[in-house]
Amino acid sequence: MIGLACMAWLTVVICYGGNWLLGQCMIERPLVVGLIAGILMGDVKTGVVIGASLEAIFMGSVNIGGAISAEPVTATALAVAFTVGAGIDQGASITLAVPVGVVTAFASIFLNNIVLALFTASFDKLAAEGNERGLAVQHYVLWFLKYALFGLIAFLGVYLGAEPVAAIVDQIPANVMAGLNAVGALLPAVGMALLLKMLWSKELAVYFFLGFVLYIYLGMPMIAIAVIGVVFAVIQALRDKELFDLEHKGVAVVAAGSDKSDEEDFFA
Amino acid sequence: MSTMTKTTSAEDKKMLNKIFLRSFSVFASCAGGSVKGGADGWLYSIQPALNRYYKDDPEKLADAMRRHTTWYNITQNVGTFAMGLVASMEHENSEHDDFDTESIDGIKVSLMGPMSGIGDAIFWGVLRVIAAGIGINLAMSGSPLGAIMFLLIYNIPSILCRYFMTYLGFQMGTNFISQLYEGGLMKLITKATSTVGLVMIGAMTAANVSFNTILSIPVQDADPIMVQTYLDSIFKGIIPLGLTLFCLWLLKKNVNVNWILVGVMVAALIMGFVGIV
Repeated sequence: MIGLACMAWLTVVICYGGNWLLGQCMIERPLVVGLIAGILMGDVKTGVVIGASLEAIFMGSVNIGGAISAEPVTATALAVAFTVGAGIDQGASITLAVPVGVVTAFASIFLNNIVLALFTASFDKLAAEGNERGLAVQHYVLWFLKYALFGLIAFLGVYLGAEPVAAIVDQIPANVMAGLNAVGALLPAVGMALLLKMLWSKELAVYFFLGFVLYIYLGMPMIAIAVIGVVFAVIQALRDKELFDLEHKGVAVVAAGSDKSDEEDFFA
Repeated sequence: MSTMTKTTSAEDKKMLNKIFLRSFSVFASCAGGSVKGGADGWLYSIQPALNRYYKDDPEKLADAMRRHTTWYNITQNVGTFAMGLVASMEHENSEHDDFDTESIDGIKVSLMGPMSGIGDAIFWGVLRVIAAGIGINLAMSGSPLGAIMFLLIYNIPSILCRYFMTYLGFQMGTNFISQLYEGGLMKLITKATSTVGLVMIGAMTAANVSFNTILSIPVQDADPIMVQTYLDSIFKGIIPLGLTLFCLWLLKKNVNVNWILVGVMVAALIMGFVGIV
Protein backbone atom coordinates (compact mmCIF):
# COMPACT_ATOMS: atom_id res chain seq x y z
CA MET A 1 0.00 0.00 0.00
CA ILE A 2 2.87 2.40 0.70
CA GLY A 3 4.07 2.05 -2.90
CA LEU A 4 0.61 2.93 -4.18
CA ALA A 5 0.43 5.86 -1.76
CA CYS A 6 3.77 7.17 -3.06
CA MET A 7 2.45 6.96 -6.61
CA ALA A 8 -0.62 8.98 -5.59
CA TRP A 9 1.72 11.62 -4.09
CA LEU A 10 3.82 11.66 -7.25
CA THR A 11 0.70 12.01 -9.42
CA VAL A 12 -0.37 15.10 -7.49
CA VAL A 13 3.10 16.70 -7.62
CA ILE A 14 3.47 16.07 -11.36
CA CYS A 15 -0.05 17.09 -12.34
CA TYR A 16 -0.91 19.85 -9.90
CA GLY A 17 2.59 21.27 -9.49
CA GLY A 18 3.50 20.77 -13.13
CA ASN A 19 0.34 22.50 -14.26
CA TRP A 20 1.35 25.74 -12.55
CA LEU A 21 5.03 25.50 -13.44
CA LEU A 22 4.22 24.98 -17.12
CA GLY A 23 1.78 27.77 -17.78
CA GLN A 24 -1.47 26.13 -16.61
CA CYS A 25 -1.21 23.66 -19.46
CA MET A 26 -4.21 21.71 -18.11
CA ILE A 27 -2.34 18.59 -17.01
CA GLU A 28 -4.28 19.10 -13.77
CA ARG A 29 -7.52 18.09 -15.49
CA PRO A 30 -8.94 14.65 -14.54
CA LEU A 31 -8.64 13.53 -18.15
CA VAL A 32 -4.84 13.88 -17.96
CA VAL A 33 -4.47 13.03 -14.25
CA GLY A 34 -6.29 9.75 -14.93
CA LEU A 35 -3.80 8.85 -17.65
CA ILE A 36 -0.74 9.73 -15.54
CA ALA A 37 -2.09 7.97 -12.43
CA GLY A 38 -2.91 4.97 -14.62
CA ILE A 39 0.64 4.85 -15.98
CA LEU A 40 2.20 5.20 -12.50
CA MET A 41 -0.11 2.66 -10.88
CA GLY A 42 0.08 0.14 -13.69
CA ASP A 43 -3.41 0.18 -15.24
CA VAL A 44 -3.62 2.77 -18.00
CA LYS A 45 -7.07 1.79 -19.26
CA THR A 46 -8.81 2.05 -15.89
CA GLY A 47 -7.03 5.33 -15.17
CA VAL A 48 -8.13 6.83 -18.47
CA VAL A 49 -11.77 5.75 -18.09
CA ILE A 50 -12.01 7.11 -14.52
CA GLY A 51 -10.33 10.30 -15.67
CA ALA A 52 -12.87 10.75 -18.47
CA SER A 53 -15.83 10.28 -16.10
CA LEU A 54 -14.41 12.70 -13.54
CA GLU A 55 -13.57 15.24 -16.25
CA ALA A 56 -17.25 15.48 -17.10
CA ILE A 57 -18.13 16.02 -13.43
CA PHE A 58 -15.38 18.53 -12.66
CA MET A 59 -15.66 20.28 -16.03
CA GLY A 60 -16.96 23.52 -14.59
CA SER A 61 -14.31 23.98 -11.94
CA VAL A 62 -11.22 25.86 -12.98
CA ASN A 63 -8.96 27.82 -10.72
CA ILE A 64 -10.12 31.37 -11.33
CA GLY A 65 -8.12 33.85 -9.30
CA GLY A 66 -7.52 31.43 -6.44
CA ALA A 67 -11.23 30.76 -5.97
CA ILE A 68 -11.95 27.13 -6.76
CA SER A 69 -15.05 25.07 -6.13
CA ALA A 70 -13.33 21.71 -6.45
CA GLU A 71 -9.78 20.43 -6.71
CA PRO A 72 -9.84 17.53 -9.16
CA VAL A 73 -6.22 16.31 -8.95
CA THR A 74 -6.30 14.64 -5.53
CA ALA A 75 -9.80 13.35 -6.26
CA THR A 76 -8.75 11.68 -9.51
CA ALA A 77 -5.51 10.26 -8.06
CA LEU A 78 -7.45 8.72 -5.16
CA ALA A 79 -10.19 7.30 -7.39
CA VAL A 80 -7.64 5.60 -9.65
CA ALA A 81 -5.65 4.30 -6.65
CA PHE A 82 -8.80 2.91 -5.03
CA THR A 83 -9.89 1.06 -8.14
CA VAL A 84 -6.50 -0.11 -9.40
CA GLY A 85 -4.86 -0.80 -6.04
CA ALA A 86 -7.69 -1.75 -3.73
CA GLY A 87 -10.09 -3.25 -6.24
CA ILE A 88 -12.98 -0.94 -5.39
CA ASP A 89 -15.76 -0.76 -7.96
CA GLN A 90 -15.20 2.03 -10.51
CA GLY A 91 -18.60 3.66 -9.97
CA ALA A 92 -18.05 3.78 -6.21
CA SER A 93 -14.54 5.22 -6.60
CA ILE A 94 -15.85 7.99 -8.83
CA THR A 95 -18.62 8.85 -6.38
CA LEU A 96 -16.15 8.91 -3.49
CA ALA A 97 -13.87 11.19 -5.46
CA VAL A 98 -16.40 14.03 -5.65
CA PRO A 99 -16.56 14.95 -1.93
CA VAL A 100 -12.78 14.47 -1.80
CA GLY A 101 -12.42 17.11 -4.50
CA VAL A 102 -14.61 19.52 -2.58
CA VAL A 103 -12.75 19.00 0.72
CA THR A 104 -9.27 19.28 -0.80
CA ALA A 105 -10.41 22.47 -2.51
CA PHE A 106 -10.68 24.00 0.95
CA ALA A 107 -7.21 22.70 1.80
CA SER A 108 -5.92 24.26 -1.40
CA ILE A 109 -7.57 27.61 -0.70
CA PHE A 110 -6.14 27.58 2.82
CA LEU A 111 -2.65 26.80 1.56
CA ASN A 112 -2.72 29.26 -1.34
CA ASN A 113 -4.38 32.23 0.31
CA ILE A 114 -3.45 31.98 3.95
CA VAL A 115 -0.24 29.98 4.39
CA LEU A 116 1.41 31.68 1.42
CA ALA A 117 0.38 35.09 2.72
CA LEU A 118 3.04 34.53 5.40
CA PHE A 119 5.64 35.09 2.69
CA THR A 120 4.41 38.60 1.91
CA ALA A 121 7.09 40.24 4.02
CA SER A 122 10.01 38.28 2.63
CA PHE A 123 8.81 38.94 -0.94
CA ASP A 124 8.56 42.70 -0.30
CA LYS A 125 11.95 42.75 1.39
CA LEU A 126 13.76 40.84 -1.36
CA ALA A 127 12.22 43.07 -4.03
CA ALA A 128 13.05 46.30 -2.24
CA GLU A 129 16.66 45.12 -1.92
CA GLY A 130 16.72 44.35 -5.64
CA ASN A 131 17.73 40.80 -4.77
CA GLU A 132 16.89 39.08 -8.04
CA ARG A 133 18.55 35.79 -7.15
CA GLY A 134 16.79 35.54 -3.81
CA LEU A 135 13.44 36.14 -5.50
CA ALA A 136 14.05 33.43 -8.08
CA VAL A 137 15.11 30.95 -5.41
CA GLN A 138 12.06 31.74 -3.32
CA HIS A 139 9.85 31.43 -6.41
CA TYR A 140 10.95 27.89 -7.24
CA VAL A 141 11.53 26.57 -3.71
CA LEU A 142 8.07 27.70 -2.62
CA TRP A 143 6.61 26.07 -5.72
CA PHE A 144 8.14 22.71 -4.84
CA LEU A 145 7.31 22.87 -1.12
CA LYS A 146 3.72 23.86 -1.80
CA TYR A 147 2.93 20.93 -4.05
CA ALA A 148 5.08 18.39 -2.19
CA LEU A 149 3.10 19.29 0.92
CA PHE A 150 -0.24 19.23 -0.86
CA GLY A 151 0.51 15.78 -2.28
CA LEU A 152 0.57 14.42 1.28
CA ILE A 153 -3.24 14.54 1.33
CA ALA A 154 -3.37 12.01 -1.50
CA PHE A 155 -0.59 9.95 0.12
CA LEU A 156 -2.44 9.70 3.43
CA GLY A 157 -5.77 9.15 1.71
CA VAL A 158 -4.46 6.05 -0.04
CA TYR A 159 -2.23 4.84 2.79
CA LEU A 160 -4.85 5.08 5.52
CA GLY A 161 -8.05 5.03 3.52
CA ALA A 162 -7.86 2.36 0.85
CA GLU A 163 -8.37 -0.74 3.04
CA PRO A 164 -11.19 0.52 5.26
CA VAL A 165 -12.93 2.04 2.25
CA ALA A 166 -12.62 -1.25 0.33
CA ALA A 167 -14.05 -3.14 3.31
CA ILE A 168 -17.02 -0.79 3.52
CA VAL A 169 -17.69 -0.83 -0.21
CA ASP A 170 -17.75 -4.64 -0.17
CA GLN A 171 -20.68 -4.55 2.24
CA ILE A 172 -22.78 -2.12 0.20
CA PRO A 173 -26.16 -3.58 -0.89
CA ALA A 174 -27.20 -3.54 -4.54
CA ASN A 175 -29.72 -0.70 -4.39
CA VAL A 176 -27.23 1.61 -2.69
CA MET A 177 -24.69 0.66 -5.33
CA ALA A 178 -27.24 1.58 -8.02
CA GLY A 179 -27.72 4.90 -6.27
CA LEU A 180 -23.95 5.48 -6.22
CA ASN A 181 -23.77 4.80 -9.94
CA ALA A 182 -26.68 7.18 -10.53
CA VAL A 183 -24.74 9.85 -8.63
CA GLY A 184 -21.88 9.43 -11.10
CA ALA A 185 -24.28 9.64 -14.04
CA LEU A 186 -26.14 12.74 -12.83
CA LEU A 187 -23.38 14.82 -11.23
CA PRO A 188 -21.94 16.04 -14.54
CA ALA A 189 -25.12 18.14 -14.75
CA VAL A 190 -23.63 20.43 -12.10
CA GLY A 191 -20.37 20.76 -14.04
CA MET A 192 -22.27 21.59 -17.22
CA ALA A 193 -24.42 24.13 -15.39
CA LEU A 194 -21.28 25.87 -14.08
CA LEU A 195 -19.99 26.15 -17.64
CA LEU A 196 -23.36 27.33 -18.92
CA LYS A 197 -23.51 30.08 -16.33
CA MET A 198 -20.29 31.49 -17.75
CA LEU A 199 -21.62 31.77 -21.33
CA TRP A 200 -25.42 31.80 -21.01
CA SER A 201 -27.37 34.69 -22.52
CA LYS A 202 -31.00 34.82 -23.66
CA GLU A 203 -29.94 35.58 -27.19
CA LEU A 204 -27.53 32.64 -27.52
CA ALA A 205 -29.25 30.01 -25.35
CA VAL A 206 -30.75 28.24 -28.38
CA TYR A 207 -27.29 27.05 -29.39
CA PHE A 208 -27.10 24.96 -26.23
CA PHE A 209 -30.17 23.06 -27.39
CA LEU A 210 -28.72 22.70 -30.87
CA GLY A 211 -25.66 20.91 -29.48
CA PHE A 212 -27.79 18.75 -27.21
CA VAL A 213 -30.05 17.54 -30.02
CA LEU A 214 -27.19 17.00 -32.48
CA TYR A 215 -25.63 14.58 -30.03
CA ILE A 216 -28.60 12.82 -28.51
CA TYR A 217 -30.72 12.38 -31.63
CA LEU A 218 -28.15 12.34 -34.42
CA GLY A 219 -25.29 10.86 -32.41
CA MET A 220 -22.75 13.06 -34.18
CA PRO A 221 -19.09 12.98 -33.07
CA MET A 222 -17.88 15.93 -30.98
CA ILE A 223 -15.54 17.25 -33.64
CA ALA A 224 -18.38 17.43 -36.18
CA ILE A 225 -20.56 19.27 -33.67
CA ALA A 226 -17.70 21.69 -33.02
CA VAL A 227 -17.46 22.42 -36.75
CA ILE A 228 -21.21 23.05 -36.97
CA GLY A 229 -20.87 25.43 -34.02
CA VAL A 230 -18.09 27.31 -35.81
CA VAL A 231 -20.21 27.56 -38.97
CA PHE A 232 -23.06 29.15 -37.02
CA ALA A 233 -20.64 31.48 -35.23
CA VAL A 234 -19.11 32.65 -38.51
CA ILE A 235 -22.49 33.25 -40.17
CA GLN A 236 -23.60 35.23 -37.15
CA ALA A 237 -20.36 37.18 -36.87
CA LEU A 238 -20.47 38.19 -40.54
CA ARG A 239 -24.03 39.45 -40.16
CA ASP A 240 -23.18 41.30 -36.96
CA LYS A 241 -20.18 42.84 -38.67
CA GLU A 242 -22.39 44.13 -41.46
CA LEU A 243 -24.85 45.65 -39.03
CA PHE A 244 -21.97 47.08 -37.04
CA ASP A 245 -20.42 48.68 -40.13
CA LEU A 246 -23.76 50.14 -41.16
CA GLU A 247 -24.29 51.67 -37.75
CA HIS A 248 -20.76 53.01 -37.70
CA LYS A 249 -21.01 54.57 -41.11
CA GLY A 250 -24.21 56.21 -40.00
CA VAL A 251 -22.42 57.70 -37.02
CA ALA A 252 -19.49 58.77 -39.16
CA VAL A 253 -21.81 60.55 -41.58
CA VAL A 254 -23.56 62.45 -38.85
CA ALA A 255 -20.34 63.30 -37.09
CA ALA A 256 -18.20 64.28 -40.05
CA GLY A 257 -20.46 64.53 -43.05
CA SER A 258 -17.43 65.03 -45.25
CA ASP A 259 -16.76 61.54 -46.54
CA LYS A 260 -18.69 61.56 -49.80
CA SER A 261 -18.23 57.95 -50.83
CA ASP A 262 -19.32 56.72 -47.43
CA GLU A 263 -22.43 58.78 -47.56
CA GLU A 264 -23.38 57.48 -50.96
CA ASP A 265 -22.76 53.93 -49.83
CA PHE A 266 -24.96 54.38 -46.86
CA PHE A 267 -27.92 55.82 -48.69
CA ALA A 268 -27.60 53.53 -51.69
CA MET B 1 1.58 38.76 -36.94
CA SER B 2 4.87 38.04 -38.70
CA THR B 3 5.31 41.64 -39.77
CA MET B 4 4.94 42.61 -36.15
CA THR B 5 7.85 40.52 -34.91
CA LYS B 6 10.06 41.81 -37.73
CA THR B 7 9.96 45.41 -36.55
CA THR B 8 11.53 44.60 -33.20
CA SER B 9 15.31 44.69 -32.86
CA ALA B 10 17.37 41.62 -32.04
CA GLU B 11 17.86 42.83 -28.50
CA ASP B 12 14.12 43.44 -28.05
CA LYS B 13 13.44 39.94 -29.30
CA LYS B 14 15.93 38.43 -26.88
CA MET B 15 14.25 40.20 -23.99
CA LEU B 16 10.70 39.40 -25.09
CA ASN B 17 11.52 35.74 -25.61
CA LYS B 18 12.92 35.60 -22.08
CA ILE B 19 9.73 37.18 -20.73
CA PHE B 20 7.66 34.71 -22.74
CA LEU B 21 9.56 31.72 -21.32
CA ARG B 22 9.55 32.98 -17.74
CA SER B 23 5.82 33.73 -17.91
CA PHE B 24 5.01 30.01 -17.89
CA SER B 25 5.79 29.90 -14.17
CA VAL B 26 3.97 33.14 -13.36
CA PHE B 27 1.58 31.52 -10.87
CA ALA B 28 3.95 28.74 -9.72
CA SER B 29 4.62 29.99 -6.21
CA CYS B 30 2.29 32.92 -5.45
CA ALA B 31 4.34 34.05 -2.45
CA GLY B 32 2.08 36.37 -0.52
CA GLY B 33 -1.06 34.37 -1.19
CA SER B 34 -4.25 36.37 -1.31
CA VAL B 35 -2.33 39.58 -0.56
CA LYS B 36 -0.17 39.45 -3.66
CA GLY B 37 -1.82 37.14 -6.17
CA GLY B 38 0.81 36.23 -8.73
CA ALA B 39 3.00 39.26 -8.04
CA ASP B 40 6.22 37.33 -7.44
CA GLY B 41 5.83 35.38 -10.70
CA TRP B 42 5.01 38.64 -12.48
CA LEU B 43 8.18 40.28 -11.19
CA TYR B 44 10.19 37.18 -12.09
CA SER B 45 8.75 37.30 -15.63
CA ILE B 46 9.46 40.97 -16.37
CA GLN B 47 12.86 40.95 -14.63
CA PRO B 48 14.72 40.67 -17.98
CA ALA B 49 13.18 44.00 -19.01
CA LEU B 50 14.07 45.71 -15.72
CA ASN B 51 17.62 44.37 -15.84
CA ARG B 52 18.05 45.61 -19.39
CA TYR B 53 16.70 49.13 -18.94
CA TYR B 54 18.14 49.85 -15.49
CA LYS B 55 21.43 48.03 -15.81
CA ASP B 56 23.46 51.18 -15.05
CA ASP B 57 21.37 52.31 -12.12
CA PRO B 58 20.98 49.78 -9.27
CA GLU B 59 18.92 52.24 -7.26
CA LYS B 60 16.34 52.69 -10.00
CA LEU B 61 16.36 48.94 -10.55
CA ALA B 62 15.52 48.25 -6.91
CA ASP B 63 12.85 50.94 -7.06
CA ALA B 64 11.29 49.32 -10.13
CA MET B 65 11.33 45.91 -8.48
CA ARG B 66 9.65 47.34 -5.40
CA ARG B 67 6.98 48.93 -7.59
CA HIS B 68 6.12 45.55 -9.10
CA THR B 69 5.31 43.78 -5.85
CA THR B 70 1.61 44.68 -5.93
CA TRP B 71 -1.26 42.25 -6.54
CA TYR B 72 -1.32 40.73 -10.01
CA ASN B 73 -3.73 38.35 -11.69
CA ILE B 74 -4.51 37.96 -15.39
CA THR B 75 -5.37 34.76 -17.28
CA GLN B 76 -1.86 33.70 -18.07
CA ASN B 77 -2.28 32.96 -21.77
CA VAL B 78 -3.07 36.63 -22.41
CA GLY B 79 -1.23 38.14 -19.43
CA THR B 80 1.98 38.39 -21.44
CA PHE B 81 0.32 41.32 -23.21
CA ALA B 82 0.57 43.28 -19.96
CA MET B 83 4.17 42.12 -19.53
CA GLY B 84 5.17 43.35 -22.98
CA LEU B 85 3.34 46.61 -22.43
CA VAL B 86 4.96 47.23 -19.05
CA ALA B 87 8.37 46.41 -20.56
CA SER B 88 7.86 49.21 -23.10
CA MET B 89 6.74 51.59 -20.35
CA GLU B 90 9.76 50.78 -18.19
CA HIS B 91 11.87 51.55 -21.25
CA GLU B 92 10.24 55.01 -21.44
CA ASN B 93 10.78 55.54 -17.74
CA SER B 94 14.46 54.66 -17.96
CA GLU B 95 14.97 57.32 -20.65
CA HIS B 96 12.78 60.14 -19.36
CA ASP B 97 13.25 61.54 -15.89
CA ASP B 98 9.78 63.11 -15.80
CA PHE B 99 7.97 59.84 -16.53
CA ASP B 100 5.17 59.16 -14.08
CA THR B 101 5.83 55.67 -12.71
CA GLU B 102 2.37 55.52 -11.21
CA SER B 103 0.97 55.19 -14.72
CA ILE B 104 2.74 51.83 -15.05
CA ASP B 105 0.91 50.42 -12.09
CA GLY B 106 -2.31 52.09 -13.23
CA ILE B 107 -2.17 50.45 -16.65
CA LYS B 108 -1.37 47.08 -15.13
CA VAL B 109 -4.32 47.29 -12.75
CA SER B 110 -6.74 48.53 -15.39
CA LEU B 111 -5.80 45.69 -17.73
CA MET B 112 -6.48 42.94 -15.20
CA GLY B 113 -10.26 42.98 -15.33
CA PRO B 114 -10.89 43.18 -19.07
CA MET B 115 -7.99 40.91 -20.05
CA SER B 116 -8.97 38.21 -17.56
CA GLY B 117 -12.54 38.50 -18.78
CA ILE B 118 -11.51 37.81 -22.37
CA GLY B 119 -8.93 35.21 -21.38
CA ASP B 120 -11.20 33.22 -19.10
CA ALA B 121 -14.03 33.16 -21.62
CA ILE B 122 -11.93 32.16 -24.61
CA PHE B 123 -9.48 29.76 -23.01
CA TRP B 124 -11.50 28.19 -20.22
CA GLY B 125 -15.03 28.70 -21.42
CA VAL B 126 -14.54 27.70 -25.02
CA LEU B 127 -11.20 26.22 -26.02
CA ARG B 128 -10.91 23.95 -22.97
CA VAL B 129 -14.52 22.84 -23.37
CA ILE B 130 -14.05 21.89 -27.02
CA ALA B 131 -10.78 20.10 -26.21
CA ALA B 132 -12.35 18.25 -23.28
CA GLY B 133 -15.43 17.28 -25.28
CA ILE B 134 -13.28 15.61 -27.91
CA GLY B 135 -10.90 14.17 -25.31
CA ILE B 136 -13.60 12.64 -23.11
CA ASN B 137 -15.18 10.93 -26.08
CA LEU B 138 -11.89 9.27 -27.02
CA ALA B 139 -10.99 8.44 -23.42
CA MET B 140 -14.29 6.76 -22.54
CA SER B 141 -13.10 3.66 -24.40
CA GLY B 142 -9.86 3.66 -22.40
CA SER B 143 -7.61 5.22 -25.03
CA PRO B 144 -4.71 7.45 -23.86
CA LEU B 145 -5.26 9.38 -27.08
CA GLY B 146 -8.10 11.27 -25.34
CA ALA B 147 -5.77 13.02 -22.90
CA ILE B 148 -3.17 13.64 -25.60
CA MET B 149 -5.69 15.19 -28.01
CA PHE B 150 -7.07 17.30 -25.18
CA LEU B 151 -3.61 18.67 -24.34
CA LEU B 152 -2.74 19.37 -27.98
CA ILE B 153 -6.02 21.11 -28.83
CA TYR B 154 -5.78 23.29 -25.73
CA ASN B 155 -2.07 24.06 -25.66
CA ILE B 156 -1.13 24.79 -29.25
CA PRO B 157 -3.38 27.87 -29.54
CA SER B 158 -2.65 28.82 -25.92
CA ILE B 159 1.11 28.88 -26.35
CA LEU B 160 0.89 30.73 -29.68
CA CYS B 161 -1.35 33.31 -28.05
CA ARG B 162 1.03 33.68 -25.10
CA TYR B 163 3.94 34.26 -27.50
CA PHE B 164 2.30 36.81 -29.78
CA MET B 165 0.69 38.65 -26.89
CA THR B 166 4.17 39.36 -25.48
CA TYR B 167 5.17 41.08 -28.73
CA LEU B 168 1.78 42.71 -29.24
CA GLY B 169 1.86 44.29 -25.78
CA PHE B 170 5.36 45.61 -26.35
CA GLN B 171 4.39 47.30 -29.60
CA MET B 172 0.73 48.16 -29.47
CA GLY B 173 0.77 50.41 -26.47
CA THR B 174 -2.01 51.22 -24.11
CA ASN B 175 -4.73 52.26 -26.54
CA PHE B 176 -5.17 48.84 -28.01
CA ILE B 177 -7.59 47.25 -25.57
CA SER B 178 -9.72 50.33 -25.15
CA GLN B 179 -9.95 50.66 -28.93
CA LEU B 180 -11.16 47.08 -29.20
CA TYR B 181 -13.81 47.79 -26.61
CA GLU B 182 -14.93 51.13 -27.98
CA GLY B 183 -15.08 49.76 -31.51
CA GLY B 184 -17.44 47.04 -30.30
CA LEU B 185 -15.25 44.40 -31.95
CA MET B 186 -14.63 42.73 -28.63
CA LYS B 187 -18.35 42.15 -28.23
CA LEU B 188 -18.42 40.50 -31.64
CA ILE B 189 -15.57 38.15 -30.79
CA THR B 190 -17.07 37.25 -27.42
CA LYS B 191 -20.42 36.51 -29.03
CA ALA B 192 -18.93 34.24 -31.69
CA THR B 193 -16.83 32.28 -29.22
CA SER B 194 -19.78 31.95 -26.82
CA THR B 195 -21.86 30.46 -29.63
CA VAL B 196 -19.36 27.68 -30.24
CA GLY B 197 -19.01 27.15 -26.50
CA LEU B 198 -22.75 26.77 -25.99
CA VAL B 199 -23.10 24.26 -28.83
CA MET B 200 -20.30 22.21 -27.26
CA ILE B 201 -21.75 22.37 -23.77
CA GLY B 202 -25.08 21.19 -25.19
CA ALA B 203 -23.41 18.23 -26.87
CA MET B 204 -21.43 17.42 -23.75
CA THR B 205 -24.51 17.56 -21.55
CA ALA B 206 -26.07 15.00 -23.86
CA ALA B 207 -22.95 12.85 -23.82
CA ASN B 208 -22.11 12.96 -20.12
CA VAL B 209 -25.26 13.37 -18.07
CA SER B 210 -27.36 10.25 -18.14
CA PHE B 211 -30.42 8.88 -16.42
CA ASN B 212 -32.08 5.51 -16.75
CA THR B 213 -35.01 4.42 -14.62
CA ILE B 214 -35.89 0.75 -14.08
CA LEU B 215 -39.45 1.62 -13.06
CA SER B 216 -42.12 -0.22 -15.00
CA ILE B 217 -45.90 -0.34 -15.00
CA PRO B 218 -47.24 -3.92 -14.89
CA VAL B 219 -49.90 -4.73 -17.51
CA GLN B 220 -52.19 -7.74 -17.34
CA ASP B 221 -51.33 -10.46 -19.89
CA ALA B 222 -48.65 -8.32 -21.55
CA ASP B 223 -45.10 -7.11 -21.14
CA PRO B 224 -44.80 -4.37 -18.51
CA ILE B 225 -44.49 -0.84 -19.82
CA MET B 226 -41.05 0.62 -19.17
CA VAL B 227 -41.26 4.17 -17.88
CA GLN B 228 -37.94 4.99 -19.55
CA THR B 229 -39.45 4.23 -22.97
CA TYR B 230 -42.17 6.77 -22.22
CA LEU B 231 -39.67 9.39 -21.16
CA ASP B 232 -37.65 8.80 -24.31
CA SER B 233 -40.69 9.19 -26.52
CA ILE B 234 -41.45 12.58 -24.99
CA PHE B 235 -37.91 13.85 -25.51
CA LYS B 236 -34.72 11.85 -25.43
CA GLY B 237 -32.58 12.93 -22.48
CA ILE B 238 -35.36 14.97 -20.91
CA ILE B 239 -34.19 14.25 -17.34
CA PRO B 240 -30.50 15.11 -17.92
CA LEU B 241 -31.51 18.25 -19.82
CA GLY B 242 -34.02 19.29 -17.17
CA LEU B 243 -31.60 18.64 -14.32
CA THR B 244 -28.83 20.64 -16.00
CA LEU B 245 -31.11 23.61 -16.56
CA PHE B 246 -32.39 23.33 -12.99
CA CYS B 247 -28.79 23.44 -11.70
CA LEU B 248 -28.17 26.49 -13.89
CA TRP B 249 -31.25 28.15 -12.45
CA LEU B 250 -30.01 27.45 -8.91
CA LEU B 251 -26.56 28.81 -9.74
CA LYS B 252 -28.14 31.97 -11.11
CA LYS B 253 -30.04 32.28 -7.84
CA ASN B 254 -26.60 32.29 -6.18
CA VAL B 255 -27.05 28.93 -4.49
CA ASN B 256 -23.62 27.67 -3.41
CA VAL B 257 -22.34 25.07 -5.87
CA ASN B 258 -21.39 22.68 -3.07
CA TRP B 259 -25.01 22.55 -1.90
CA ILE B 260 -26.10 21.73 -5.43
CA LEU B 261 -23.52 18.93 -5.59
CA VAL B 262 -24.75 17.54 -2.29
CA GLY B 263 -28.38 17.86 -3.39
CA VAL B 264 -27.81 15.90 -6.60
CA MET B 265 -25.87 13.22 -4.72
CA VAL B 266 -28.58 12.79 -2.09
CA ALA B 267 -31.35 12.72 -4.70
CA ALA B 268 -29.55 10.05 -6.73
CA LEU B 269 -28.86 7.93 -3.63
CA ILE B 270 -32.51 8.11 -2.58
CA MET B 271 -33.62 7.10 -6.08
CA GLY B 272 -31.31 4.10 -5.87
CA PHE B 273 -32.55 3.23 -2.40
CA VAL B 274 -36.24 3.20 -3.34
CA GLY B 275 -35.56 1.36 -6.60
CA ILE B 276 -36.12 4.05 -9.21
CA VAL B 277 -32.71 3.58 -10.83
